[in-house]
Amino acid sequence: MICLVRTCSNSLYSSTENMSGNSLVLPIVLWGRNAPTHCISSLLVMDDLATIITGCHDGQICLWDMTADLEISPRGLLFGHTSSITCLSKASAGSDKLYIVSASESGEMCLWDVSDGRCIEFTKLACAHTGIQFYQFTVGTQREGRLLCNGHYPEILVVDATSLEVLYSLVSKISPDWISSMSVIRSHRTQEDTVVAVSVTGILKVWIITADVSRMQDTEPVFEEESKPIYCQGCQSISFCTFTQLSLLVVCSKYWRVFDAGDYSLLCSVPSENDQAWTGGDFIAADKVIIWTEDGCSYIYKLPASCLPASEHFRSDIGKTAEGSVPPLVYSIADRPDKQLLICPPVTRFFYGRREPFHKLLVQGDSGGRLSLWSIPDTSPLQPLSTTAELQVSSTISLQEAFDKLTPLPAGIIDQLSVTPGSEEPIKVTASVYIPSQGRLVCGREDGSIVLVPATQTAIVQLLQGEHMLRRGWPPHRTLRGHRNKVTCLLYPHQVSPRYDQRSLVSGGVDFSVIVWDIFTGEMKHIFCVHGGEITQLLVPPENCSTRVQHCVCSVASDHSVGLLSLRERKCIMLASRHLFPIQVIKWRPCDDYLVVGCSDGSVYVWQMDTGALDRCVMGITAVEILNACDEAAMTRRSLAALKNMAQHKLQTLATNLLASDNADKGNLPKYSHNSLVVQAMKTNLTDPDMHVLFFDVEAVIIQLLTEEAQRPNPTLVSPETLQKSQGSADKGGSFLAGKLFKQVKETIKENIKEHLLDEDEEEEEEQRRREEKSKSLSLLEYNLTMDTAKLFMSCLHAWGLNATLDEVCLSRLGMLKPHCPISFGLLSRGGHMSLMLPTFKESMFRLMAAGQVHVAGGRKMSASEIVGKGTYGVSRAVTTQHLLSVISLANTLMGMTNATFVGEHMKKAPARPPRPGTPEIAKKTPPQVSNPAMQGQIKQGWSQLAAMHCVMLPDLLGLDKFRPPLLEMLARRVAGPLP
Amino acid sequence: MALHASHRLMFADLSRMSAASQAERTVLEEEFKWLLKEEVHAVLKQLQDILKEASRRFSMPSSGLESQVKQENFILGSSTMDQVKGVLTLQGEALTQADINIKMAKSNQVLHFTFRDDKQWKIQQIQDARNHVNQALQLLASRDEAYHFKTGAQVNKLMDAVMLQLTRARSRLTTPATMTLPELASSGLMKMFTPPMPGDVMVNFYINLSKLCLTVYQLHALQPNTAKNIKPAGSSVLHNPGAVFELNSTKFEVSHVQKVECVVPWLNDTLVFFSISLQLCQQLKDKISVFSSYWNYRPF
Repeated sequence: MICLVRTCSNSLYSSTENMSGNSLVLPIVLWGRNAPTHCISSLLVMDDLATIITGCHDGQICLWDMTADLEISPRGLLFGHTSSITCLSKASAGSDKLYIVSASESGEMCLWDVSDGRCIEFTKLACAHTGIQFYQFTVGTQREGRLLCNGHYPEILVVDATSLEVLYSLVSKISPDWISSMSVIRSHRTQEDTVVAVSVTGILKVWIITADVSRMQDTEPVFEEESKPIYCQGCQSISFCTFTQLSLLVVCSKYWRVFDAGDYSLLCSVPSENDQAWTGGDFIAADKVIIWTEDGCSYIYKLPASCLPASEHFRSDIGKTAEGSVPPLVYSIADRPDKQLLICPPVTRFFYGRREPFHKLLVQGDSGGRLSLWSIPDTSPLQPLSTTAELQVSSTISLQEAFDKLTPLPAGIIDQLSVTPGSEEPIKVTASVYIPSQGRLVCGREDGSIVLVPATQTAIVQLLQGEHMLRRGWPPHRTLRGHRNKVTCLLYPHQVSPRYDQRSLVSGGVDFSVIVWDIFTGEMKHIFCVHGGEITQLLVPPENCSTRVQHCVCSVASDHSVGLLSLRERKCIMLASRHLFPIQVIKWRPCDDYLVVGCSDGSVYVWQMDTGALDRCVMGITAVEILNACDEAAMTRRSLAALKNMAQHKLQTLATNLLASDNADKGNLPKYSHNSLVVQAMKTNLTDPDMHVLFFDVEAVIIQLLTEEAQRPNPTLVSPETLQKSQGSADKGGSFLAGKLFKQVKETIKENIKEHLLDEDEEEEEEQRRREEKSKSLSLLEYNLTMDTAKLFMSCLHAWGLNATLDEVCLSRLGMLKPHCPISFGLLSRGGHMSLMLPTFKESMFRLMAAGQVHVAGGRKMSASEIVGKGTYGVSRAVTTQHLLSVISLANTLMGMTNATFVGEHMKKAPARPPRPGTPEIAKKTPPQVSNPAMQGQIKQGWSQLAAMHCVMLPDLLGLDKFRPPLLEMLARRVAGPLP
Repeated sequence: MALHASHRLMFADLSRMSAASQAERTVLEEEFKWLLKEEVHAVLKQLQDILKEASRRFSMPSSGLESQVKQENFILGSSTMDQVKGVLTLQGEALTQADINIKMAKSNQVLHFTFRDDKQWKIQQIQDARNHVNQALQLLASRDEAYHFKTGAQVNKLMDAVMLQLTRARSRLTTPATMTLPELASSGLMKMFTPPMPGDVMVNFYINLSKLCLTVYQLHALQPNTAKNIKPAGSSVLHNPGAVFELNSTKFEVSHVQKVECVVPWLNDTLVFFSISLQLCQQLKDKISVFSSYWNYRPF
């Protein structure tokens, strides 16, 4: 019997799997009040001076909007790189496409669309790039976008700016070495594109890119035209004077020099004063340069006459050592007092707007996630030159400041349960795990307590307005107390493997202890105190380990020790603690009874699990081979440990699982990926509190809704025919696009129905089994998980404030709730890349509206609630596509269901179950009798109006300037997609 | 009920602890100040000394004056059993001369090759390791005694950056690049020799740990319609006999592989220096982390 249930549930999963091939998964983020750590490592200003991009040491990229008045606000965060961002560059020339490219310390390279944070392309090389420059080479009559890359390798790689393929490389014949810095220029004289670079040993190299070279497709190298030692070791930056094209500025840490751009003879050399280390510079006018230091100060110098091509003294000093004379200082841009607290040197860059309003901008990003801008005036100050004028900062903001400015403050997932009396700040969540089978989120906090709470309900409290706001201690939750300080990791082993007791929850803390809990009774079952440092990871050993090990969890601590803690025997059966470096990765060789420990320095320790003996400790190729061998063995069975690790930067795995695109081991994916809702805690930096991302799988929501509908006593209403009928009216009025949308939705739904009608009998058994499990387990309030998920999701997606009558219908008849504030959505793109909107993303929209002379409803100010929902349809075409598809397909599903409203008794429990006595009442007033046919009709009408509004009327209501139409190719892909 | 009791116990425990920790706290703060002011700089000084010593081993050419770097000869494969013998001249990061004798397995004939006079072979692994060490030194350069560290995070950030460079430097020497056989066949190395290498011999030079390695592959061409299942070998440091690949639409099989090596003493020194430096960095980080976990430890 049980066996039968297993197989059929598997068949359901595998069939949904096929659909999720290009499934629609929408993330919604709860950032919490603490902005993510953003220690800026590189920055870029787009040519139109409307967007600034910063990359950080933890691998995220932040998009900041900038107005013409130089006001800045952060808009979104891009995830996908696994290590520090080393450089950023624009990757497109026109204004229609805004693409950037980013590179990381681990050799990854990503092409992003700045408008919505979609990852267009990505690649990985063995070596890291430290500099990228976009350049359009002339090929015949066309201009081809190329990225020139330099880094920890001796060539300059020329990469195609759309495919990221290496086309050819620029190679040195004479003393080849790493390139420190490079610059490209198109010479007016020769009409040739010239690449100039300085190697780490201080040799200047010149390559000429002729049209023949640009056309080359094979990997034949291009050799340098000229190689000249200029004795500039430790070169930080080189830049041509864009105003005259006749001089070249080279900045080294202890001096800066100006060279003639024709024959590279030295025009002047200026040493640094007071032990300052220069880190870069640029020309700000034909006769002025700006140079900045490691600690964030900048200085503007007027160049001596010998460096000015316009002057008669040009080149007059060649051959004479001008070392020592410091040219007159025009401006100094000093550091702020709070620079003291920076944990690493800030990044400074100069940008010159190529379009209106032609700002000359000095931009600085620091370790505190702060951006500062200085607008550089073209005129010199009026004061006598002896007293240097200090330039005031034009605009400055940090991520945290932007978060703090918001009202209401950005919500955290359990903020309402975490504000202790007498304190403003909620207790921070430091570790989380989501238990999808129960829809429950477990949050470990900085005070050592652990909170269990229904995930959708706590999200509803944080995101939506409603009666629940008045309730204290809502939603019902359970608190486990036992850790003396911060909880650092949580593990629910049963989710990874059914061999573990479903009651057991394991937590690790900063207090060195690992605690085993019974989540149903709240009892503390056992405390393990075996480590000498805070617990950093909790993992589950794979299936084919010895029986003894199978009942263990594996704990890793900051004292570089690993333990195998047996939950059954309640003792530590092995402790491996001779590692010199922090433990980075744990792998398994179950067949040999080996536990393989990978350390941060690249060393690998192999431990015998049974005896606890160290089998060997290796480095180098052998270490790499051992780790790879473990991976190969593990490929056949995917362990959920991968999903657990995700919290530590393993987003890659997550998105691949969610999108389930081309995984070979699809069939063995955990049940996880078929849940309509997955809550994933993430932190960009280990010291940050958790932020939570709710991933909604739209197709899974639909399937679950239909499954539950089919279990109703009277399933006659659901059939493709009725659906078609109800869609008829909307279809007629719909455009081509709407037709396509409906077609897609119909097909999806038809498929769903076919599947579950076929599986119906077994389904019931499955349901039966689930209920049995539940009745054993639940001691908290019961509620209908599926409908709750749909309610939360629809309320977030609906474009509120466009049609007052419809809003009223949504609120009263359909039971949707208005959001408190704009919802931060996200966008998943392939390869595990993701962009998430920051809670401040609306700030720039407010400003845009104010600046764009759009008088909304007779010039009155728009209230926060009015713009709450609209914004997402003005973000980008990709976002619009996904949101429209989701909202319309869900509305259509709900239209075909009985009782498809989010108000009423049925919301409190799973369908077809008698009401349990003693469950707390949610609504005081008696809900409308939903079985009434007239009522049913009204509900259906409500959903159909909702669908129609998004389908047809949205562009008109929003105004074409604010509406980004959906991407047809994206729709087409879905319609033509491989449906089963 | 039992839960309540344990709670009470815990709170009592805590209040006792917080009283005791007040005095402890001041002592710890003093110690942490000392750590940031004195100990950190002592470690950084030690690190710099070790890394300067390591950098010196690489004898970086001071832009253009390459003649000053001394030449060293290494004899690979000295035992009579070896089918391959080579004398390689290493000058800094470049192999300037090579003298290789290969005893062909098929004919038992000994082939002799040397580098062409106009060619030398740069060993990229050594150049990369040298550049990574110098980058680590640059990071440390601006953090002398005059620099005041104010937080543990500043030290950690610096250590992370230095350790990244040192790990890279070490792993460049300990993990040679993996190559496919066609990549090796079309590499510039094959064109370095006089007399030119015959089509059925391939050589490769690389560094593995502190050893300079020479690998010789002897190939034989397969019949175009051979029944042998062609599954091209992937990237590897060392390919095994029997590996098959295709080059210019001819299929080859590796028939013999010979590897000879010789320890380069100064590379061994640098590896030791890297390991010591990495441990110093990690120990400093561990010290800092002891304090920061104390600071986090506040009673609730």
